Amino acid sequence: MDEFDDNEIARLLRLKRYEQPPPGYFENFLHEFHRRQRDEMLRQPLWRICLERAHGFMLRLDVRSLASYPAAVAAVLVCAAVVSLKIYQQPETARVALQSPPALSAPASAEGEWSLTSPVATQIFRTQPVRRFNESAQTHRAGAPPRYVLDSVPVSYEPTFRF
Amino acid sequence: MPGKAAFALIFCLSASLLFAQEQAAKKGSDRVKDTFERVMAQAESATAVSHQVKDVFERAAKAVVKIHGVDEHSPICGTGFFIDPTGTLYTAYTVGGEAGNFTIEFGGKKYPAHQLLADIRSGTAMLKIDAPTPALPIGKSEGLEVATPVIAVGYPLDLPETPNFGMIAGFDRKYLGRYFSTTHLRVNLPTQRGEAGAPLLNMKGEVVGIVVSSLENNSACYAVPIEAAEKIRGDFMRFGEARHGWIGINVSMARQPVEGSVAEMKQIMEDTPAARSGIKSGDILLQVGRKRVTQPEDVLDASFFITAGDIVPITVMRGNQKLTFSVQATLHPASRSGVLLASPGTPAINQQAIPLSLGSDVPPTP
Repeated sequence: MDEFDDNEIARLLRLKRYEQPPPGYFENFLHEFHRRQRDEMLRQPLWRICLERAHGFMLRLDVRSLASYPAAVAAVLVCAAVVSLKIYQQPETARVALQSPPALSAPASAEGEWSLTSPVATQIFRTQPVRRFNESAQTHRAGAPPRYVLDSVPVSYEPTFRF
Repeated sequence: MPGKAAFALIFCLSASLLFAQEQAAKKGSDRVKDTFERVMAQAESATAVSHQVKDVFERAAKAVVKIHGVDEHSPICGTGFFIDPTGTLYTAYTVGGEAGNFTIEFGGKKYPAHQLLADIRSGTAMLKIDAPTPALPIGKSEGLEVATPVIAVGYPLDLPETPNFGMIAGFDRKYLGRYFSTTHLRVNLPTQRGEAGAPLLNMKGEVVGIVVSSLENNSACYAVPIEAAEKIRGDFMRFGEARHGWIGINVSMARQPVEGSVAEMKQIMEDTPAARSGIKSGDILLQVGRKRVTQPEDVLDASFFITAGDIVPITVMRGNQKLTFSVQATLHPASRSGVLLASPGTPAINQQAIPLSLGSDVPPTP
């Protein structure tokens, strides 16, 4: 203050009287204020910000009234786990139970059923099924939607030119 | 005089101009008429084809059935068709080969069915219901050529019987690097899921193939020639089972053609009919049965139709000598093991079981 006497100060004040803020200063004042406040806050580490937020949230709520929520969520999760385990284990059980019997029928004796001396058209078909379905493995669940069959590659396959 | 001459000249010019115009109009009219007649002929031809397809569909649809079954994964649905009046029907192996609990939807009723035979080499299966049925006439696929029109009748998804119209696109022995056991018909005919086992019909309504798989985007399909299915059926009628024949020869490409053939006997397997007959490695294969062989690939078709127990004449060139050997085929080794040749990646559940009841006393072909 020693550098300026009263006259100097009065001159500076006269000059300041005519100084104007830049255009839009007052309009952006609030926005600028919040920005600077946010910048200031973000200088803290993230974990501290989260902790403060959580703390503030808990203070606003009544913690005792919320005590039953975690218990309910845990119960729902346990139920879902039990139901899903039951669903996915069911086919495996069926596979084990049904795969043990042989899937093929015994070869039929051709002696009594075929006569090569008679015309082919009059021969009698052996009409027993080649294999019985209840002897084969069945692992699908009842009520599954049907599969409409048409493969993308023929099943016929010959690995080499051998005959 | 000059006036009269000028008048005559103008008259002549006008007359010729009118004549030319008339001719041009007549030509134009003729062209329009020709075009119209051509369009009408095409329309009539398309209508005739449409009527023909409709006629074949209406006749064939009565013998085409929807097959329900259950395999180890889920219920399945496919198509089949009756081939005799006692309820025997053909379908694809993928429908009737590895499933059970079959039910046939036919004439508005459901009939239980059982499997007579399933053969993965041909990709076909035979089922049977105990009821009198209509039957489709069996034709010949040998008469087919590329661009021959064909019709398929199948049950796509859960929809009613549906006709499909297309044409023969090729005769393939391999697809995506894999050889088939016998030549398959590639058909430019759109197919949907559920149509495996559908009959492929010629324009007379005769069965020439069985739809076994689709191709890219279901815009085309593969069909097994009906002769392949009939071979299996013939085996079944004679022996009650499919009996694929085995000679014991491995064929490869020869360095140079002999008598038009480059199929060389690379290996004669020990203790096989070929080894016992006197055929030697290095012989050039010319003919198997009635099938002429010029390429190693030709043995696929030639050998597929051999039945175990049959005497098969095999003609070869050895040096400058043409020799014919009579060889009695035995049972295919894949059949002996009880598991027939499966496609790569297919689980070994091909239990169609050609039981090994075949000894050395197999009766030869009558």
